[in-house]
Amino acid sequence: MKKILNDPTVYVDEMLEGLCAAHPDNYRQVGDAGRVIARADGPIDGKVGIVSGGGSGHLPIFTGYVGKGLLDACAIGDVFASPSVEQMADAIRAANGGAGVLRLYGNYGGDIMNFDMAGDMVEMEDVSATTVLLADDVASASRAERDKRRGVAGMVYAFKIAGAAADAGKDLAEVTRIAQKAADHCVSMGAALTPCTVPQAGKPTFELGEDEMEMGMGIHGEPGVWRGKLRSADEIAGEIMDTLLADQPLGAGDRVSPLVNSLGATPPEELYILYRIVKQRIEEAGAQIMMPLVGRYATSMEMTGISITLCKLDDELEGYLKAPAHCAFWTV
Amino acid sequence: MALDTPTLRHGLALIAAKMEASADELNTVDGALGDGDLGVTMTRGMREIMKVADDLPDDVGMALFGCAQAFTRISGSSFGTLLATGLMSAAKASRGRTEVPWSEMSGLLQGAVQAMSARGKAELGQKTVLDPLDAAAKAAADQSDGPAVLAAIDRAVDETMDAFRDQQAQVGRARIFGEKSVGLDDPGMVALRRVVDGLKAP
Repeated sequence: MKKILNDPTVYVDEMLEGLCAAHPDNYRQVGDAGRVIARADGPIDGKVGIVSGGGSGHLPIFTGYVGKGLLDACAIGDVFASPSVEQMADAIRAANGGAGVLRLYGNYGGDIMNFDMAGDMVEMEDVSATTVLLADDVASASRAERDKRRGVAGMVYAFKIAGAAADAGKDLAEVTRIAQKAADHCVSMGAALTPCTVPQAGKPTFELGEDEMEMGMGIHGEPGVWRGKLRSADEIAGEIMDTLLADQPLGAGDRVSPLVNSLGATPPEELYILYRIVKQRIEEAGAQIMMPLVGRYATSMEMTGISITLCKLDDELEGYLKAPAHCAFWTV
Repeated sequence: MALDTPTLRHGLALIAAKMEASADELNTVDGALGDGDLGVTMTRGMREIMKVADDLPDDVGMALFGCAQAFTRISGSSFGTLLATGLMSAAKASRGRTEVPWSEMSGLLQGAVQAMSARGKAELGQKTVLDPLDAAAKAAADQSDGPAVLAAIDRAVDETMDAFRDQQAQVGRARIFGEKSVGLDDPGMVALRRVVDGLKAP
Protein backbone atom coordinates (compact mmCIF):
# COMPACT_ATOMS: atom_id res chain seq x y z
CA MET A 1 0.00 0.00 0.00
CA LYS A 2 1.39 3.38 -1.01
CA LYS A 3 -0.72 6.09 0.58
CA ILE A 4 -0.22 9.40 2.34
CA LEU A 5 -1.60 8.73 5.81
CA ASN A 6 -0.65 8.44 9.49
CA ASP A 7 -2.69 5.58 10.91
CA PRO A 8 -5.23 3.61 8.84
CA THR A 9 -7.61 3.35 11.84
CA VAL A 10 -8.05 7.14 12.01
CA TYR A 11 -7.92 7.74 8.25
CA VAL A 12 -11.54 8.92 8.06
CA ASP A 13 -11.42 10.94 11.29
CA GLU A 14 -8.32 12.85 10.22
CA MET A 15 -9.83 13.41 6.77
CA LEU A 16 -13.02 14.89 8.30
CA GLU A 17 -10.99 17.05 10.69
CA GLY A 18 -9.03 18.47 7.77
CA LEU A 19 -12.12 18.93 5.60
CA CYS A 20 -13.83 21.04 8.27
CA ALA A 21 -10.62 22.92 9.07
CA ALA A 22 -10.21 23.87 5.40
CA HIS A 23 -13.82 24.87 4.84
CA PRO A 24 -15.22 26.06 8.19
CA ASP A 25 -17.73 28.32 6.44
CA ASN A 26 -19.26 25.25 4.82
CA TYR A 27 -18.87 22.19 7.08
CA ARG A 28 -18.97 21.37 10.78
CA GLN A 29 -18.54 18.08 12.61
CA VAL A 30 -21.34 16.93 14.90
CA GLY A 31 -22.22 13.74 16.80
CA ASP A 32 -20.30 11.98 19.56
CA ALA A 33 -17.66 10.54 17.27
CA GLY A 34 -17.58 13.48 14.85
CA ARG A 35 -18.74 11.17 12.08
CA VAL A 36 -21.55 13.47 11.01
CA ILE A 37 -20.88 16.48 8.79
CA ALA A 38 -23.52 19.21 8.79
CA ARG A 39 -23.92 22.57 7.12
CA ALA A 40 -22.02 25.20 9.09
CA ASP A 41 -25.15 27.41 9.08
CA GLY A 42 -27.69 24.60 9.59
CA PRO A 43 -30.22 23.34 10.35
CA ILE A 44 -32.31 25.87 8.44
CA ASP A 45 -35.54 26.66 10.25
CA GLY A 46 -38.64 25.58 8.37
CA LYS A 47 -36.72 24.03 5.45
CA VAL A 48 -37.00 20.32 4.63
CA GLY A 49 -33.66 18.73 5.55
CA ILE A 50 -31.80 16.49 3.11
CA VAL A 51 -29.58 13.88 4.66
CA SER A 52 -27.33 11.29 3.10
CA GLY A 53 -24.77 8.82 4.28
CA GLY A 54 -22.53 5.97 3.34
CA GLY A 55 -18.96 4.84 3.43
CA SER A 56 -15.95 7.10 3.01
CA GLY A 57 -13.70 6.89 0.01
CA HIS A 58 -16.00 8.52 -2.56
CA LEU A 59 -15.35 12.26 -2.18
CA PRO A 60 -17.04 14.53 -3.07
CA ILE A 61 -19.77 11.87 -2.46
CA PHE A 62 -21.25 11.91 0.19
CA THR A 63 -19.83 14.42 2.66
CA GLY A 64 -18.58 16.90 0.12
CA TYR A 65 -22.10 17.70 -1.07
CA VAL A 66 -23.18 19.17 2.26
CA GLY A 67 -23.89 22.81 1.50
CA LYS A 68 -26.45 25.39 0.47
CA GLY A 69 -28.92 24.02 -2.07
CA LEU A 70 -27.51 20.51 -1.52
CA LEU A 71 -27.35 18.25 1.56
CA ASP A 72 -27.93 19.47 5.10
CA ALA A 73 -26.06 16.66 6.84
CA CYS A 74 -24.30 13.41 6.15
CA ALA A 75 -23.29 10.34 8.18
CA ILE A 76 -19.87 8.93 7.32
CA GLY A 77 -18.67 5.38 7.79
CA ASP A 78 -15.18 3.99 7.42
CA VAL A 79 -13.89 3.59 3.89
CA PHE A 80 -16.53 1.61 1.93
CA ALA A 81 -18.40 0.73 5.19
CA SER A 82 -21.85 1.78 6.36
CA PRO A 83 -22.14 4.39 9.13
CA SER A 84 -23.74 3.23 12.38
CA VAL A 85 -27.45 3.68 13.14
CA GLU A 86 -26.59 6.25 15.79
CA GLN A 87 -24.53 8.32 13.35
CA MET A 88 -27.38 8.24 10.85
CA ALA A 89 -29.87 9.30 13.52
CA ASP A 90 -27.53 12.14 14.52
CA ALA A 91 -27.32 13.20 10.86
CA ILE A 92 -31.11 13.26 10.60
CA ARG A 93 -31.31 15.36 13.77
CA ALA A 94 -28.63 17.74 12.45
CA ALA A 95 -30.59 18.18 9.20
CA ASN A 96 -33.95 18.71 10.87
CA GLY A 97 -35.22 22.27 10.66
CA GLY A 98 -38.69 21.23 11.80
CA ALA A 99 -40.13 20.49 8.36
CA GLY A 100 -39.06 16.85 8.15
CA VAL A 101 -36.06 15.16 6.58
CA LEU A 102 -35.51 13.29 3.32
CA ARG A 103 -33.01 10.42 3.50
CA LEU A 104 -31.37 10.32 0.07
CA TYR A 105 -28.69 7.68 -0.46
CA GLY A 106 -27.50 4.72 -2.48
CA ASN A 107 -29.22 1.35 -2.73
CA TYR A 108 -26.94 -0.76 -0.49
CA GLY A 109 -28.31 -3.33 2.01
CA GLY A 110 -26.35 -2.28 5.09
CA ASP A 111 -27.11 1.41 4.59
CA ILE A 112 -30.83 0.70 4.13
CA MET A 113 -31.13 -1.36 7.33
CA ASN A 114 -29.29 1.26 9.35
CA PHE A 115 -31.05 4.30 7.85
CA ASP A 116 -34.48 2.65 8.36
CA MET A 117 -33.60 1.96 11.98
CA ALA A 118 -32.34 5.54 12.41
CA GLY A 119 -35.67 6.73 10.99
CA ASP A 120 -37.54 4.66 13.61
CA MET A 121 -35.46 6.29 16.29
CA VAL A 122 -36.07 9.88 15.25
CA GLU A 123 -39.76 9.09 14.75
CA MET A 124 -39.90 8.60 18.55
CA GLU A 125 -38.72 12.22 18.74
CA ASP A 126 -41.48 13.29 16.33
CA VAL A 127 -39.17 13.91 13.38
CA SER A 128 -40.74 12.66 10.16
CA ALA A 129 -38.39 11.18 7.60
CA THR A 130 -38.92 9.88 4.07
CA THR A 131 -36.59 7.86 1.87
CA VAL A 132 -35.44 7.98 -1.75
CA LEU A 133 -32.84 5.45 -2.89
CA LEU A 134 -30.49 5.93 -5.82
CA ALA A 135 -30.36 2.86 -8.04
CA ASP A 136 -28.82 4.22 -11.25
CA ASP A 137 -26.10 1.67 -12.13
CA VAL A 138 -27.50 -0.10 -15.20
CA ALA A 139 -24.69 -2.69 -15.14
CA SER A 140 -25.79 -4.07 -11.75
CA ALA A 141 -29.24 -5.41 -12.72
CA SER A 142 -31.68 -5.33 -15.63
CA ARG A 143 -34.29 -2.60 -15.92
CA ALA A 144 -36.96 -5.12 -14.90
CA GLU A 145 -35.08 -5.57 -11.61
CA ARG A 146 -34.34 -1.89 -11.20
CA ASP A 147 -34.83 -1.98 -7.44
CA LYS A 148 -31.71 -4.18 -7.20
CA ARG A 149 -29.44 -1.69 -8.96
CA ARG A 150 -26.64 -0.06 -7.02
CA GLY A 151 -26.50 3.69 -6.50
CA VAL A 152 -23.52 5.45 -8.11
CA ALA A 153 -22.79 8.89 -9.61
CA GLY A 154 -26.48 9.64 -10.29
CA MET A 155 -26.56 10.63 -6.63
CA VAL A 156 -24.95 13.94 -7.60
CA TYR A 157 -28.06 14.90 -9.62
CA ALA A 158 -30.44 13.70 -6.92
CA PHE A 159 -28.60 15.69 -4.23
CA LYS A 160 -28.59 18.81 -6.41
CA ILE A 161 -32.22 18.62 -7.51
CA ALA A 162 -33.66 17.61 -4.11
CA GLY A 163 -31.53 20.25 -2.40
CA ALA A 164 -32.84 22.96 -4.70
CA ALA A 165 -36.44 21.85 -4.19
CA ALA A 166 -35.97 22.03 -0.41
CA ASP A 167 -34.30 25.45 -0.80
CA ALA A 168 -37.33 26.62 -2.80
CA GLY A 169 -39.51 25.92 0.24
CA LYS A 170 -41.27 22.78 -0.98
CA ASP A 171 -42.73 20.54 1.74
CA LEU A 172 -41.43 17.06 2.61
CA ALA A 173 -43.86 15.22 0.33
CA GLU A 174 -42.98 17.48 -2.62
CA VAL A 175 -39.22 17.29 -2.03
CA THR A 176 -39.52 13.50 -1.80
CA ARG A 177 -41.53 13.29 -5.03
CA ILE A 178 -39.05 15.49 -6.90
CA ALA A 179 -36.04 13.56 -5.53
CA GLN A 180 -37.64 10.28 -6.61
CA LYS A 181 -38.26 11.70 -10.06
CA ALA A 182 -34.62 12.79 -10.32
CA ALA A 183 -33.47 9.36 -9.15
CA ASP A 184 -35.74 7.66 -11.69
CA HIS A 185 -34.33 9.81 -14.50
CA CYS A 186 -30.68 8.95 -13.89
CA VAL A 187 -28.80 6.06 -15.50
CA SER A 188 -25.09 5.39 -15.05
CA MET A 189 -22.39 2.93 -15.99
CA GLY A 190 -18.70 2.80 -15.21
CA ALA A 191 -15.51 1.10 -16.29
CA ALA A 192 -12.44 0.39 -14.16
CA LEU A 193 -8.78 0.14 -15.23
CA THR A 194 -7.10 -0.33 -11.85
CA PRO A 195 -8.36 -1.20 -8.34
CA CYS A 196 -8.07 0.93 -5.22
CA THR A 197 -6.86 0.07 -1.73
CA VAL A 198 -8.96 0.47 1.41
CA PRO A 199 -6.49 1.85 4.01
CA GLN A 200 -7.57 -0.54 6.77
CA ALA A 201 -7.34 -3.54 4.45
CA GLY A 202 -3.96 -2.53 3.02
CA LYS A 203 -4.48 -4.55 -0.17
CA PRO A 204 -6.19 -3.71 -3.47
CA THR A 205 -9.92 -4.56 -3.52
CA PHE A 206 -9.48 -6.70 -6.66
CA GLU A 207 -6.88 -7.56 -9.29
CA LEU A 208 -6.87 -6.51 -12.90
CA GLY A 209 -4.15 -7.34 -15.42
CA GLU A 210 -1.84 -4.60 -16.74
CA ASP A 211 -3.62 -4.46 -20.12
CA GLU A 212 -7.13 -5.24 -18.81
CA MET A 213 -10.24 -3.26 -17.96
CA GLU A 214 -13.59 -4.20 -16.49
CA MET A 215 -16.75 -2.75 -18.01
CA GLY A 216 -19.63 -2.06 -15.65
CA MET A 217 -17.69 -2.53 -12.43
CA GLY A 218 -19.25 -1.11 -9.25
CA ILE A 219 -17.62 1.63 -7.19
CA HIS A 220 -16.50 -0.87 -4.53
CA GLY A 221 -15.13 -3.31 -7.08
CA GLU A 222 -18.38 -5.26 -7.51
CA PRO A 223 -18.30 -7.46 -10.63
CA GLY A 224 -19.26 -5.79 -13.90
CA VAL A 225 -20.41 -6.91 -17.35
CA TRP A 226 -17.16 -8.07 -18.93
CA ARG A 227 -13.45 -8.10 -18.29
CA GLY A 228 -10.97 -7.98 -21.13
CA LYS A 229 -8.33 -6.08 -23.06
CA LEU A 230 -8.28 -2.31 -22.60
CA ARG A 231 -10.19 -0.59 -25.40
CA SER A 232 -9.92 2.90 -26.91
CA ALA A 233 -11.65 5.93 -25.38
CA ASP A 234 -14.17 6.10 -28.23
CA GLU A 235 -15.00 2.40 -27.89
CA ILE A 236 -15.45 2.68 -24.10
CA ALA A 237 -17.65 5.78 -24.36
CA GLY A 238 -19.56 4.24 -27.27
CA GLU A 239 -20.38 1.02 -25.42
CA ILE A 240 -21.45 2.85 -22.27
CA MET A 241 -23.62 5.30 -24.23
CA ASP A 242 -25.23 2.44 -26.20
CA THR A 243 -26.08 0.68 -22.93
CA LEU A 244 -27.42 3.82 -21.26
CA LEU A 245 -29.50 4.87 -24.26
CA ALA A 246 -30.96 1.37 -24.60
CA ASP A 247 -31.96 1.52 -20.93
CA GLN A 248 -33.36 5.06 -21.02
CA PRO A 249 -33.93 6.11 -24.65
CA LEU A 250 -33.60 9.73 -25.73
CA GLY A 251 -35.52 11.22 -28.63
CA ALA A 252 -36.02 14.46 -30.52
CA GLY A 253 -36.79 17.32 -28.16
CA ASP A 254 -35.54 15.53 -25.03
CA ARG A 255 -33.15 17.35 -22.72
CA VAL A 256 -30.38 15.64 -20.81
CA SER A 257 -27.47 16.52 -18.55
CA PRO A 258 -24.48 14.19 -19.00
CA LEU A 259 -21.86 13.61 -16.30
CA VAL A 260 -18.49 12.23 -17.35
CA ASN A 261 -16.93 11.32 -14.02
CA SER A 262 -13.49 10.21 -12.90
CA LEU A 263 -13.39 7.39 -10.33
CA GLY A 264 -10.33 9.01 -8.81
CA ALA A 265 -7.09 8.61 -10.74
CA THR A 266 -8.27 9.19 -14.29
CA PRO A 267 -7.29 12.75 -15.29
CA PRO A 268 -9.69 15.37 -16.69
CA GLU A 269 -7.84 15.14 -20.02
CA GLU A 270 -9.19 11.64 -20.58
CA LEU A 271 -12.69 12.64 -19.46
CA TYR A 272 -12.76 15.27 -22.21
CA ILE A 273 -11.64 12.70 -24.78
CA LEU A 274 -14.66 10.59 -23.73
CA TYR A 275 -16.99 13.60 -23.74
CA ARG A 276 -16.75 13.96 -27.55
CA ILE A 277 -18.54 10.66 -28.02
CA VAL A 278 -21.06 11.38 -25.25
CA LYS A 279 -22.04 14.62 -27.02
CA GLN A 280 -22.14 12.93 -30.40
CA ARG A 281 -24.47 10.13 -29.26
CA ILE A 282 -26.86 12.49 -27.49
CA GLU A 283 -27.07 14.73 -30.56
CA GLU A 284 -27.54 11.74 -32.86
CA ALA A 285 -30.57 10.82 -30.75
CA GLY A 286 -31.93 14.31 -31.41
CA ALA A 287 -31.71 15.36 -27.77
CA GLN A 288 -30.35 18.58 -26.35
CA ILE A 289 -27.51 18.83 -23.79
CA MET A 290 -28.03 20.97 -20.71
CA MET A 291 -25.39 21.70 -18.08
CA PRO A 292 -22.80 19.03 -18.92
CA LEU A 293 -20.60 17.99 -15.99
CA VAL A 294 -17.04 16.72 -16.49
CA GLY A 295 -14.75 16.01 -13.55
CA ARG A 296 -14.38 14.21 -10.23
CA TYR A 297 -17.90 14.07 -8.81
CA ALA A 298 -18.08 10.53 -7.35
CA THR A 299 -14.89 8.55 -6.79
CA SER A 300 -13.51 5.28 -5.43
CA MET A 301 -10.30 6.36 -3.75
CA GLU A 302 -7.45 6.16 -6.30
CA MET A 303 -9.24 3.83 -8.75
CA THR A 304 -8.43 4.49 -12.39
CA GLY A 305 -11.68 4.48 -14.27
CA ILE A 306 -14.67 6.50 -15.28
CA SER A 307 -18.43 6.54 -15.23
CA ILE A 308 -20.99 8.23 -17.43
CA THR A 309 -24.37 9.31 -16.09
CA LEU A 310 -27.31 10.68 -18.05
CA CYS A 311 -29.97 12.65 -16.19
CA LYS A 312 -33.02 13.17 -18.40
CA LEU A 313 -34.64 16.49 -17.62
CA ASP A 314 -38.07 18.06 -17.80
CA ASP A 315 -38.88 21.69 -16.95
CA GLU A 316 -39.14 20.94 -13.24
CA LEU A 317 -35.88 18.98 -12.97
CA GLU A 318 -34.00 21.42 -15.20
CA GLY A 319 -35.06 24.37 -13.06
CA TYR A 320 -33.82 22.72 -9.87
CA LEU A 321 -30.60 21.49 -11.49
CA LYS A 322 -29.71 25.02 -12.56
CA ALA A 323 -30.67 26.67 -9.24
CA PRO A 324 -27.78 28.12 -7.18
CA ALA A 325 -25.91 25.75 -4.88
CA HIS A 326 -22.58 25.78 -3.11
CA CYS A 327 -20.24 23.37 -1.38
CA ALA A 328 -16.45 23.15 -1.25
CA PHE A 329 -16.36 20.91 -4.33
CA TRP A 330 -19.05 22.37 -6.57
CA THR A 331 -20.73 25.71 -7.13
CA VAL A 332 -23.70 26.20 -9.43
CA MET B 1 -48.83 -7.12 37.67
CA ALA B 2 -47.03 -5.13 35.07
CA LEU B 3 -43.74 -4.27 33.44
CA ASP B 4 -42.40 -0.97 34.71
CA THR B 5 -38.99 0.66 34.40
CA PRO B 6 -37.56 -0.70 37.71
CA THR B 7 -38.54 -4.24 36.63
CA LEU B 8 -37.01 -3.61 33.21
CA ARG B 9 -33.81 -2.33 34.83
CA HIS B 10 -33.58 -5.47 36.97
CA GLY B 11 -34.10 -7.70 33.91
CA LEU B 12 -31.45 -5.84 31.91
CA ALA B 13 -28.88 -6.37 34.66
CA LEU B 14 -29.65 -10.10 34.68
CA ILE B 15 -29.34 -10.33 30.88
CA ALA B 16 -26.12 -8.29 30.85
CA ALA B 17 -24.52 -10.62 33.42
CA LYS B 18 -25.61 -13.69 31.48
CA MET B 19 -24.19 -12.30 28.23
CA GLU B 20 -20.78 -11.76 29.86
CA ALA B 21 -20.85 -15.37 31.03
CA SER B 22 -22.00 -16.66 27.62
CA ALA B 23 -19.76 -14.56 25.36
CA ASP B 24 -17.33 -17.36 24.47
CA GLU B 25 -20.14 -19.84 23.84
CA LEU B 26 -21.95 -17.39 21.54
CA ASN B 27 -18.75 -16.58 19.63
CA THR B 28 -18.16 -20.30 19.16
CA VAL B 29 -21.64 -21.22 17.91
CA ASP B 30 -21.58 -18.18 15.63
CA GLY B 31 -18.11 -19.14 14.40
CA ALA B 32 -19.53 -22.44 13.14
CA LEU B 33 -22.11 -20.72 10.91
CA GLY B 34 -21.16 -17.05 10.72
CA ASP B 35 -18.36 -14.65 11.45
CA GLY B 36 -17.97 -15.61 15.08
CA ASP B 37 -18.65 -12.29 16.75
CA LEU B 38 -22.13 -12.79 18.22
CA GLY B 39 -20.78 -12.96 21.78
CA VAL B 40 -18.93 -9.71 21.16
CA THR B 41 -22.08 -8.09 19.77
CA MET B 42 -24.25 -9.18 22.70
CA THR B 43 -21.80 -8.24 25.44
CA ARG B 44 -20.92 -4.90 23.89
CA GLY B 45 -24.58 -4.11 23.25
CA MET B 46 -25.61 -4.97 26.81
CA ARG B 47 -22.69 -2.96 28.21
CA GLU B 48 -23.96 0.07 26.27
CA ILE B 49 -27.44 -0.52 27.72
CA MET B 50 -26.07 -0.83 31.26
CA LYS B 51 -24.37 2.56 30.84
CA VAL B 52 -27.80 4.18 30.49
CA ALA B 53 -29.82 1.78 32.70
CA ASP B 54 -29.86 4.02 35.78
CA ASP B 55 -31.10 6.97 33.75
CA LEU B 56 -33.91 5.20 31.90
CA PRO B 57 -37.16 7.20 32.24
CA ASP B 58 -40.33 5.90 33.93
CA ASP B 59 -42.15 5.92 30.59
CA VAL B 60 -41.65 2.25 29.63
CA GLY B 61 -41.74 3.09 25.93
CA MET B 62 -39.06 5.73 26.25
CA ALA B 63 -37.03 3.37 28.46
CA LEU B 64 -37.17 0.68 25.76
CA PHE B 65 -36.28 3.38 23.22
CA GLY B 66 -33.23 4.22 25.34
CA CYS B 67 -32.22 0.54 25.26
CA ALA B 68 -32.62 0.34 21.48
CA GLN B 69 -30.61 3.50 21.02
CA ALA B 70 -27.84 2.23 23.31
CA PHE B 71 -27.68 -1.09 21.48
CA THR B 72 -27.23 0.64 18.12
CA ARG B 73 -24.14 2.43 19.40
CA ILE B 74 -22.20 -0.70 18.58
CA SER B 75 -21.90 -0.68 14.83
CA GLY B 76 -21.17 -3.33 12.29
CA SER B 77 -23.58 -6.05 13.39
CA SER B 78 -26.84 -6.70 11.59
CA PHE B 79 -27.99 -8.90 14.51
CA GLY B 80 -27.55 -5.88 16.79
CA THR B 81 -29.60 -3.72 14.44
CA LEU B 82 -32.32 -6.40 14.33
CA LEU B 83 -32.50 -6.65 18.13
CA ALA B 84 -32.70 -2.87 18.34
CA THR B 85 -35.49 -3.00 15.76
CA GLY B 86 -37.45 -5.37 18.01
CA LEU B 87 -36.89 -3.10 21.00
CA MET B 88 -38.05 -0.08 18.98
CA SER B 89 -41.25 -1.87 18.03
CA ALA B 90 -41.98 -2.58 21.70
CA ALA B 91 -41.00 1.00 22.55
CA LYS B 92 -43.55 2.44 20.12
CA ALA B 93 -46.30 0.15 21.45
CA SER B 94 -45.71 1.12 25.08
CA ARG B 95 -44.82 4.79 24.69
CA GLY B 96 -46.54 7.11 27.18
CA ARG B 97 -47.17 4.43 29.86
CA THR B 98 -45.36 3.80 33.13
CA GLU B 99 -46.83 0.30 33.44
CA VAL B 100 -47.44 -2.29 30.74
CA PRO B 101 -49.50 -5.31 31.91
CA TRP B 102 -47.79 -8.70 31.43
CA SER B 103 -50.82 -9.72 29.40
CA GLU B 104 -49.50 -7.40 26.69
CA MET B 105 -46.10 -9.14 26.49
CA SER B 106 -47.41 -11.45 23.79
CA GLY B 107 -48.45 -8.51 21.64
CA LEU B 108 -45.15 -6.71 22.18
CA LEU B 109 -43.23 -9.81 21.09
CA GLN B 110 -45.49 -10.31 18.09
CA GLY B 111 -44.91 -6.71 17.02
CA ALA B 112 -41.17 -7.18 17.41
CA VAL B 113 -41.25 -10.32 15.26
CA GLN B 114 -43.06 -8.44 12.49
CA ALA B 115 -40.72 -5.44 12.60
CA MET B 116 -37.60 -7.63 12.64
CA SER B 117 -38.94 -9.80 9.84
CA ALA B 118 -39.56 -6.75 7.66
CA ARG B 119 -36.19 -5.17 8.37
CA GLY B 120 -34.16 -8.36 8.06
CA LYS B 121 -36.13 -9.57 5.03
CA ALA B 122 -36.58 -12.97 6.64
CA GLU B 123 -39.72 -15.00 7.18
CA LEU B 124 -40.88 -17.44 9.82
CA GLY B 125 -39.73 -21.01 9.29
CA GLN B 126 -36.28 -20.10 7.95
CA LYS B 127 -34.44 -21.11 11.12
CA THR B 128 -33.70 -17.70 12.61
CA VAL B 129 -34.26 -15.98 15.94
CA LEU B 130 -37.70 -15.05 14.59
CA ASP B 131 -38.99 -18.61 15.02
CA PRO B 132 -38.51 -18.95 18.80
CA LEU B 133 -39.58 -15.31 19.28
CA ASP B 134 -42.81 -15.99 17.43
CA ALA B 135 -43.37 -19.17 19.43
CA ALA B 136 -42.70 -17.20 22.62
CA ALA B 137 -45.25 -14.56 21.60
CA LYS B 138 -47.89 -17.23 21.04
CA ALA B 139 -47.06 -19.07 24.28
CA ALA B 140 -47.32 -15.86 26.30
CA ALA B 141 -50.72 -15.04 24.88
CA ASP B 142 -52.88 -16.28 27.74
CA GLN B 143 -50.58 -15.34 30.61
CA SER B 144 -51.08 -12.35 32.82
CA ASP B 145 -48.39 -12.58 35.49
CA GLY B 146 -44.66 -12.17 35.10
CA PRO B 147 -43.38 -15.60 36.21
CA ALA B 148 -46.01 -17.41 34.11
CA VAL B 149 -45.07 -15.34 31.02
CA LEU B 150 -41.39 -16.19 31.54
CA ALA B 151 -42.12 -19.90 32.07
CA ALA B 152 -44.21 -20.02 28.89
CA ILE B 153 -41.48 -18.25 26.88
CA ASP B 154 -38.83 -20.55 28.34
CA ARG B 155 -40.72 -23.67 27.18
CA ALA B 156 -41.54 -22.22 23.77
CA VAL B 157 -37.89 -21.34 23.06
CA ASP B 158 -36.74 -24.86 23.98
CA GLU B 159 -39.41 -26.53 21.86
CA THR B 160 -38.69 -24.34 18.86
CA MET B 161 -34.94 -24.95 19.04
CA ASP B 162 -35.56 -28.70 19.21
CA ALA B 163 -37.88 -28.50 16.22
CA PHE B 164 -35.44 -26.51 14.05
CA ARG B 165 -32.12 -28.10 15.03
CA ASP B 166 -32.13 -30.65 12.20
CA GLN B 167 -33.40 -28.27 9.57
CA GLN B 168 -31.18 -26.41 7.12
CA ALA B 169 -30.70 -22.66 7.56
CA GLN B 170 -32.45 -20.77 4.76
CA VAL B 171 -31.47 -17.17 5.26
CA GLY B 172 -28.56 -14.95 6.27
CA ARG B 173 -24.96 -15.98 6.51
CA ALA B 174 -25.81 -19.44 7.94
CA ARG B 175 -27.58 -20.27 4.66
CA ILE B 176 -24.24 -20.33 2.84
CA PHE B 177 -23.25 -23.29 5.02
CA GLY B 178 -26.19 -25.28 3.62
CA GLU B 179 -26.23 -28.85 4.86
CA LYS B 180 -23.55 -28.13 7.44
CA SER B 181 -26.16 -26.13 9.35
CA VAL B 182 -28.23 -29.31 9.89
CA GLY B 183 -27.86 -30.47 13.50
CA LEU B 184 -26.50 -27.09 14.62
CA ASP B 185 -28.53 -24.52 16.52
CA ASP B 186 -28.97 -21.17 14.84
CA PRO B 187 -26.63 -18.72 16.65
CA GLY B 188 -29.37 -16.11 17.04
CA MET B 189 -31.62 -18.70 18.68
CA VAL B 190 -28.83 -19.59 21.11
CA ALA B 191 -28.46 -15.90 21.99
CA LEU B 192 -32.20 -15.70 22.73
CA ARG B 193 -31.95 -18.90 24.77
CA ARG B 194 -29.24 -17.31 26.93
CA VAL B 195 -31.26 -14.09 27.31
CA VAL B 196 -34.17 -16.09 28.70
CA ASP B 197 -31.76 -18.09 30.88
CA GLY B 198 -30.50 -14.81 32.28
CA LEU B 199 -34.02 -13.71 33.18
CA LYS B 200 -34.65 -17.03 34.95
CA ALA B 201 -31.79 -16.39 37.39
CA PRO B 202 -33.11 -16.12 40.95
